[in-house]
Amino acid sequence: MLRTLLAAALAALAAPALGQRLAADVDCKPTQHDLVYDCRIALKEAASRKPVAGADVSVGADMPSMPMAHNVRPVKAKPAKEPGLYTARLELEMYGEWALKLNVRSPVRDVIVKKIDFRERP
Amino acid sequence: MLVDVVQNTLDGLMLGSAYALLALGFTLIFGVLRRANLAYGPAIMLGAYAATWVNLQFHPGVLVLAAVTIAGATLAGTYVERLCFAPHGRRGAGDAAAIASMVGSFALWMQLEEAATLWLPKHLYGFPPLYDGPPLGLGPLTLRVEYLAMLACAAAACFGLHRLLNRTRFGLAVRAVVDQADAARLAGINVPRVFMLVFALASALGGLAGYLIVAAHEQVTPMLGMWSTLKGMIAMMLGGLGSLPGAVVGGLALGLIESHSQWLFGPQYRDLIAFLILFALLAVRPSGLWAMLRRSPAPAP
Amino acid sequence: MDEYALGVLTNVGLFSFLALSAYLLLVAGEMSFGQQAFFGVGAYAAGIGTAMWGWPLPVAALAAMALGAAAAWLVGLPTLRLRGLYFAMATLAAAEMFRILFELVHYQRTIDGELVGPDGTQGFRGIRWVLERGIEQETFLAAVWALVLLVLGAFALVERSRLGATLRMVGEDPELAAVLGVNVARVKLGVAAAAGALAALGGALYAHHNTYVEPRNFDIMLGVHSLAYALIGGLGTALGPLLGVALDIGLLESTRVFQGYRMIVFGGLVALLLIVRPRGLLDELTVNRVAAALRRRRTA
Repeated sequence: MLRTLLAAALAALAAPALGQRLAADVDCKPTQHDLVYDCRIALKEAASRKPVAGADVSVGADMPSMPMAHNVRPVKAKPAKEPGLYTARLELEMYGEWALKLNVRSPVRDVIVKKIDFRERP
Repeated sequence: MLVDVVQNTLDGLMLGSAYALLALGFTLIFGVLRRANLAYGPAIMLGAYAATWVNLQFHPGVLVLAAVTIAGATLAGTYVERLCFAPHGRRGAGDAAAIASMVGSFALWMQLEEAATLWLPKHLYGFPPLYDGPPLGLGPLTLRVEYLAMLACAAAACFGLHRLLNRTRFGLAVRAVVDQADAARLAGINVPRVFMLVFALASALGGLAGYLIVAAHEQVTPMLGMWSTLKGMIAMMLGGLGSLPGAVVGGLALGLIESHSQWLFGPQYRDLIAFLILFALLAVRPSGLWAMLRRSPAPAP
Repeated sequence: MDEYALGVLTNVGLFSFLALSAYLLLVAGEMSFGQQAFFGVGAYAAGIGTAMWGWPLPVAALAAMALGAAAAWLVGLPTLRLRGLYFAMATLAAAEMFRILFELVHYQRTIDGELVGPDGTQGFRGIRWVLERGIEQETFLAAVWALVLLVLGAFALVERSRLGATLRMVGEDPELAAVLGVNVARVKLGVAAAAGALAALGGALYAHHNTYVEPRNFDIMLGVHSLAYALIGGLGTALGPLLGVALDIGLLESTRVFQGYRMIVFGGLVALLLIVRPRGLLDELTVNRVAAALRRRRTA
């Protein structure tokens, strides 16, 4: 416990690491089931726009008004055929605007938030 | 310019009549039971959702839809009363009971909202209008018929409640309970039943307000629950807690404030100004606008 | 640890700050629907500090707490005379004013070729201080809970002290307190400021956990929920609000059995619970009984 505290304190005071930032394009399409969506994620490096392959990405979702109320359990995104492309199936509780949280654990630690408005089929 | 001011004032009064109707039901509960009902809006929403469902299945006429909304709201309201207010005992039995009722009503707020969205999950449902025609024109001004109906209903409700409270035996019982609940009980009045009936009446009023509002907007959304509770509470506080004429005054005032603020400063500032005025009023004159107008002190908080 | 469990535990910790903030005011006799405003102030302040001005998180968090305390003091001063529902509505109005102000603030800077900063209703993205230092989720979780425990310790100390007795007395019977020489106004303002600082600390950490906040995060629902957590968990001890948060976010949120019906179950349970336990689960009576039993055990 003390060690984690010390580690946190040291990390806090350490010089900032050069941000290896990532960027993502997310496109979610409705499936035949209501409130279930198939999302395609294109993950790339923010600066060079190079696709990032073999990443450990999970996708979670939360509704902005009342955080944690309609929280969606994060699902691991599966790599698609092209490098840098991943797919994930999201099951939402309600229609409306959701904030998708892409949690990347490797090769670089990053968090990307994308706001998407999920509307019912007309 | 003058036309704009008058039009805004008219718009404000019409908007305010919706708020006044909402506030009447809320105030009835607070004035008699001395409790805040946070599930008020959601009960109305459930009534409106019931009417929406009926509309989707059967497309009935205006009167049926209104009746369904009122019935639904009354049923939901009675459910809330039985579960959250009746068990917590007598009026003025201390802060703890009042807070417990309020938190209970918050819990049921969440429950009713989720039930409604599970029943009808879409973000928006169309609702047939009350009056399918163009708005009335009065020279350069426009008046929407639905809002005139709301104003008429708010006035009628206020008048009707006044008659009920002052000219009927039931009203006498209610006033006795408001005055001194223990003495009323000793005099043989069934206080819990009075509470239940007042609550049902308030919920019915809310249902009426809800029907008129969704018919005027021609749509129903899941936001209706919180919106109704919020507007009802704000209007009630503006007018003066626990006062029926205050509820109407507060509702109309809120409508006027919103209408003029929006025109003067834009939609973003509309709510900001309304809240600012409410905050300032509470800081300086918590007894509300109605008491200010009559220049008499309202009952102490 | 599973990522979802990490997230849930962190959120329980973060919202505990908010629930404790509401609890503190409740103990001093005031019911606030508006603590979420200071949660938001803390989030925005700390976010601006680290993401835009390059401050380290501890410094930004302290600044956020100071700002939260100041904001709470500003709200507390005009509302001193108000009690009950009047005070609650005033705090609600104030909180909504803050939220609308968040919607109106546009303050952005270009850092590393990207726009960072609050952008009105679009929110504030890019609060990446924790990510940039490679701090693992587990470490952040530990830090959050270390702070929660610190706060609980402070609460425990205050409960036993004269200050704690004064606070509870002001809460139960302010007239009596005034007669006994307590400066009720000063106590209430102090409590308001402390509660504001506490909520702001939670907000600062929340912003860095999420890396993105927007005004809608800090709406009325959050405020009413945090008040409810305190009231349901019980007002007898600072563990009460934690219990409330843990029950809602921890237990019910993560049991997938209730997916889609969570609020129906939770709402019904709470209403029923309040019938048997109007002062919450860990109310004063329960806490006193437990304390007495422990004392008996020790002297036996």
